[in-house]
Amino acid sequence: MELDLFVRYGPALIRGFGVTILCWAAGSLGGLVLGFVIACLYRWSIAPVRWVIYAYVEVIRGTPFMIQLFILYYGGPYIGLVLSPVQAGILSFIVYGSPYFSEIFRSGFNAVPKGQVEAARCVGMAEATILRRIVLPQMLVPITPPLTNFFIILTKETAILSVVTVPELLYETQTMAAETFTYVEPFLVLSLFYWLMVIGTNWLGGRVEARVTRHLKRA
Amino acid sequence: MKKKLIGFAAVVGVSLGLAGAAHADQLADIKAKGKMTAATEMHYAPFDILVDGKYEGICHDLFTEVAKELGVEVEFLDLPWQSILPGLEAGKFDFVNAPVTITAERLKRYNFTLPIGNATVALAKKAGDGSISKPEDIAGKAVGSQKGSAQLEQLKAFSATLNPPADVREYVNIDEALADLAAGRIQAVANSMPLMGYAAVQRPGLFEMVMPPFGDPKYFGWVGTGGEESKTLIAAINDAILKMHEDGRLKAINEKWLGTAPELPTTMPDVK
Amino acid sequence: MNFSFDVIWHNLPYLLAAARWTLLISVAGMAISIIWGVFLCAARISKNPLLSNLAALYISFFRGVPLLVQLLMAYYMLPYVGLDLPAIAAAILAVGLCSAAYTAEILRGALQAIPAGQTEAAHALGIPAFSLWKRILVPQAVRIGLPSLVNELILLVKVSSLASVVGIGELTRISQNITGQTYRPLEIYIAAAAIYFLINLVISGLGRLAEKRLQAG
Repeated sequence: MELDLFVRYGPALIRGFGVTILCWAAGSLGGLVLGFVIACLYRWSIAPVRWVIYAYVEVIRGTPFMIQLFILYYGGPYIGLVLSPVQAGILSFIVYGSPYFSEIFRSGFNAVPKGQVEAARCVGMAEATILRRIVLPQMLVPITPPLTNFFIILTKETAILSVVTVPELLYETQTMAAETFTYVEPFLVLSLFYWLMVIGTNWLGGRVEARVTRHLKRA
Repeated sequence: MKKKLIGFAAVVGVSLGLAGAAHADQLADIKAKGKMTAATEMHYAPFDILVDGKYEGICHDLFTEVAKELGVEVEFLDLPWQSILPGLEAGKFDFVNAPVTITAERLKRYNFTLPIGNATVALAKKAGDGSISKPEDIAGKAVGSQKGSAQLEQLKAFSATLNPPADVREYVNIDEALADLAAGRIQAVANSMPLMGYAAVQRPGLFEMVMPPFGDPKYFGWVGTGGEESKTLIAAINDAILKMHEDGRLKAINEKWLGTAPELPTTMPDVK
Repeated sequence: MNFSFDVIWHNLPYLLAAARWTLLISVAGMAISIIWGVFLCAARISKNPLLSNLAALYISFFRGVPLLVQLLMAYYMLPYVGLDLPAIAAAILAVGLCSAAYTAEILRGALQAIPAGQTEAAHALGIPAFSLWKRILVPQAVRIGLPSLVNELILLVKVSSLASVVGIGELTRISQNITGQTYRPLEIYIAAAAIYFLINLVISGLGRLAEKRLQAG
């Protein structure tokens, strides 16, 4: 292993890591919000809207991110949609993550016994209050681990943004690999940086989990 | 956390430590077995392509002839680039018959054969684009090339001599650069002359070559493991290449795929 | 842009042939993911600190290191320690073992949502631990976690594309190879996306069916 490689490519790799974190944070938080909106729409709207949402979830979730991004970025200009690499990257990241998030939220809604919601309606509680005070606190218990899971999965999906020349971590690592004809060093770099992100996300997820399961730990 | 890092480092360390001590003499091993495995990326026209599920191209045809000269059967393996070097060192296959540009930095780590193809850089533009008729016309325009490739280096050096210089964009694969040329974000793509020519032949209404090629002459070679154990194998393959230079097979195969035959040196080119 | 259906039509048989590898890796990987995931989850929430920490370590490693690197390690580095797996076995194992880490976490979340009173009641009634898991905890956890599990299985199908790094010509790899020869990425990728979509539609359809049945019960 040659340490001078890390000195030579260090600044580019760290810049790439910064871009990775930026795209990941913007894309996954956007996806989380959009996913929640979709799950709520699915829960509280009429049949035709639900069919549209169903189709959206199945199509976006069922096709690879690389192909979605490729078609948006390289196919978009044919219909007058010319996006910059980072724009296309973050936009498609938000769209790609949203159906997964919405399914996780849907599972959370389902985990709350129907009787509780019906009882709350009977005593005249507003829908928004029911969501905030009864459904959300309970649904967060089962869905925090899958949400953390998916944030972690998305850290690695950022690597696909290299396909549209977003200068993220994999993009910079590939320069190092191709120019120097090495492979152990670049993979080591990739693993360490992603692992850092995963440890951070997992720690954050653990904190959220401790907070949302507080009420279960009385005994 | 620390334990896992040490574990990972240990595996990497083992791989590095043992990589040098694999075979004593690859050629003898291969001849004893009567067959060898060569890996390539079937994704670099017209050298390595997959047509209707079958492996074809210049490297396929040339290496099939080389194997005949060695008196062994050859099996070809398709791998993406990121696993070709690890696979070679782990001994999952014997040789890399992909066209790899011979550069000084790469020669430090691996053994190359004599040149088997022309890697000099040329441009492709969108068909019918009248604003580019010679390489110098890319001044001030957006030009794409493949990240980390020797051709990108040539393009950058050439661009620096222009006023204003070109806006050089780097893509992970050349496919994506060509897709962006088709989409109109960039005005030209720079890569090895044979690949650019093949793109123009495959999509005549879309891409067009810009003649002549520019920059330093560069060559593709094939790659064996670094160190001593591949020396005899490389020497035997070089002998086969020289023989094909003489009896015209090299020329015929190149003409079949390129229409013309490039001038290939019969000695190792001097790379700095 | 002169979109060419001919190119899709001509290459469809090769894409479908490649999709068989995608299917094989996915189905075998799913089996490993679910079975091994249940064990991992049980270990993770076990009161035995050694088991629980080992499971946490496993989950951190398999979620932390990119699957690409895991695959390269399984195929190219294990031979150095005397374990030379065939490519397809390495691919299935790597995909399954990695996905199991995510499955375990999904199940753990779902188990937390089951009221603790149920386990306490089972203990009070002297129901053995195995029956408690098999008859009470797992069925409920699966119901609550099902949408997230379907998410994970769909991701597994797509991540099987990484098997190309050990030399398996699965759907994504073959699409890229065909693109490299035809220079028609949009056509070929749309066709590949449609095949992935159909595979995943079956998985999510089965998931919805199971969800309905579990909710009825």
